[in-house]
Amino acid sequence: MTPRTKTYLFAFSIAFLLIFTADIKTAFAQVPDPGAPGPLTVTREEYNFGDTAFTATDFPGPIELIASIHYPANLPAGPYPVILFMHGRHATCFVGGSALLQWPCTAQGSQSIPSYRGYDYVAEAIASHGYVVVSVSANGVNAVDNSVFDLGALARAELLQKHLDILNTFNTTGGAPFGTKFVGKLDLTRVGTMGHSRGGEGVVRHKVLNDSLGAPYGIKAVFPLAPVDFNRFVVNNAALNVLLPYCDGDVSDLQGVHFYDDARYNVPGDQSPKHYELVMGANHNFYNTIWSPSSPFPGTANDWLAFVPGGRSDSQCGTVRGNQRLTEAQQRGTGLAYMSAFFRTYVGGETQFIPILTGDAPPPASAQTNNLFVSYHAPDNPALRLDVNRLLTETNLTVNTLGGAATQTGLTPYDLCGGNAPQPAVCLPGQSNARQPHTTPSARSSARGLSQLRTGWNNMTGNYRNDIPSTLGNVSGFQAVQFRVSVNFADARNLEGLAQDFRVVLTDASGASSSVRVSDVSGALYFPPGSVGPVPKVVLNTVRVPLSAFGGVNLNAVRSVQFVFDERFQGAVLVTDLAFASAPQ
Amino acid sequence: MKRSLVYRWVAIAAVFSFLLLVMPQLISAQNANQTNKELPVRELLKLPGKVLTDTKTTGSSGDLKLTGYRVEEVQLPRSLTIDVRGQQATVDRAWRVTITGGPFPVRAMPAVIWIDDQVAGYGIENETLTQITAITFDSSLIHEGGVVSLSYGENKEGRIRLSQKLQLKREGENQ
Repeated sequence: MTPRTKTYLFAFSIAFLLIFTADIKTAFAQVPDPGAPGPLTVTREEYNFGDTAFTATDFPGPIELIASIHYPANLPAGPYPVILFMHGRHATCFVGGSALLQWPCTAQGSQSIPSYRGYDYVAEAIASHGYVVVSVSANGVNAVDNSVFDLGALARAELLQKHLDILNTFNTTGGAPFGTKFVGKLDLTRVGTMGHSRGGEGVVRHKVLNDSLGAPYGIKAVFPLAPVDFNRFVVNNAALNVLLPYCDGDVSDLQGVHFYDDARYNVPGDQSPKHYELVMGANHNFYNTIWSPSSPFPGTANDWLAFVPGGRSDSQCGTVRGNQRLTEAQQRGTGLAYMSAFFRTYVGGETQFIPILTGDAPPPASAQTNNLFVSYHAPDNPALRLDVNRLLTETNLTVNTLGGAATQTGLTPYDLCGGNAPQPAVCLPGQSNARQPHTTPSARSSARGLSQLRTGWNNMTGNYRNDIPSTLGNVSGFQAVQFRVSVNFADARNLEGLAQDFRVVLTDASGASSSVRVSDVSGALYFPPGSVGPVPKVVLNTVRVPLSAFGGVNLNAVRSVQFVFDERFQGAVLVTDLAFASAPQ
Repeated sequence: MKRSLVYRWVAIAAVFSFLLLVMPQLISAQNANQTNKELPVRELLKLPGKVLTDTKTTGSSGDLKLTGYRVEEVQLPRSLTIDVRGQQATVDRAWRVTITGGPFPVRAMPAVIWIDDQVAGYGIENETLTQITAITFDSSLIHEGGVVSLSYGENKEGRIRLSQKLQLKREGENQ
């Protein structure tokens, strides 16, 4: 099969699935676009307390206190929720066409690279809906962070906290350069943070730091964008959204998916929802305008092409005819749409965007692509989530999380992989870590990855069944039965370029059954595209099957959930997180 | 009365004796902790080193335009107890492995320098992005014929090898 044929097959599969899932999603077609410009005019200013104004704990270099601030012009109301952005690791200074890594910029004729301005396109949009958005410069961290053990995570966290302290001063007594302009205008009990790349780990570390200080600021939502996860800190009790670019050429192992995986069951009773988006065709750098090739500053890169040997020839991420790469503008559209939806929902309380974040509604127009996959983990609240099988330990192969029987027929293998020992550390032996993000190792932690059911079928008789105890069989209050799944591209039973399929079957106490084909509600069973370096890769995406689709079954007395593998003659998948779930309220 | 005074003096003497016996150990332990305190990597980068090898490749290799590497032995100002391949070891020397070339990109994933199949260390770029240096305390890595390579992240498959193998200068050779 030629790369072009594979590309066409993939594109056709996606188009086919999108058309067929359109019916299900039509119900949410009226969800407004969170990325559309708001009614308020926005003013942009900066504050600058100097290149060496801050020192982080045990950090070997000075750090600047510089940030941009977008806010509704004249601040007609308020106090406004505050969103904080932090860029990631990039060159800090330049002279002519040469990038440098020093701080401050002391080389003759050198100037700083303003990475913090790279998200102005999002800040402008969010601020126009009544938010104050602050984007922090972190060049001083970038200049020397590779020489500290945690690779700068704590320094970034402390820098964010320092900026919140500065904003607190602006909000209470006021201060230069704004005088009393912001007094009483900032709601620091409603704060959201977005960090890109190493900034992504920075915002996670910051949440942990803020908690350790007694939570002086109300961090409601944390958005790591194409993040690293070297240290495996975990966000608890705040909404989490990780954005993963499929064609990331820098953090090509998409290790940031650990943030979601690690947080799911970490704290019993955690009332916060967790999300991620896998954006097909997106790379690492285009989310920051200063890091993108269209930027006038040195040090830019189309990272997939620059950092992946042979990457140009990849059918998905490269430059060959029919590739699925997004342009800079398209890619930023996905960032704009999902950052806006996330912060406006969980910081601003604008709950109308929730269907976008659960994947129940298609990507909004501002996302500029439909080719992305949304995953969602409901809050640990009995009204919102009933875990059927978490698939965490060997026991879950025979007894599910509800205490019911877990059984299979005609499946091989039928084992768990990727989680804690004695599970094998990876699910696809022989494949590189970059191709299996859920189990990729972390630089500064020995924590294992996501426990997954690895299974497959050789004929049309494969069946995976989870029984539900009668006392727990009333699932009528939930919106959907859901799970995460990926096609195992390394298993030869999956034909390259062809999507998989199977049926989800609910059976009630009277024996009545109803089934829904996965392909009728989701495109998650695509064959992972690409063939060069880090791709193809397995990322488990959420499939949410609305319970309303199971006609003829008594949802007050469901007795089992089955996966029936009779839609394809053979195949292999990785599965986890089987649950009944609803969107957050 | 006399008896209680005697008991008091005995008790005081016992406490002093105990302190006299224990204090040196406490002081010594504190010193040991100071000795063990990690040297900042930035300091290790600045310490003078003895060049063991300084190799130039013939033509630059790969997209990163690698042009060579240098290995220096560094005498530490104090001994350190650190983890070497999972074992605690007390060391008084380190080795700086510096790869030249570039300009190297400033990426989220750290540069990693390898010798053979072992990670020598995470790389630190110089200001002009023409050098990446890692520090290792593992003497076994510094051996004749070792293969030096560079990756971003601990990505074995993505390593770029330097063609010249390690050739260590012997004592008395010009450096």
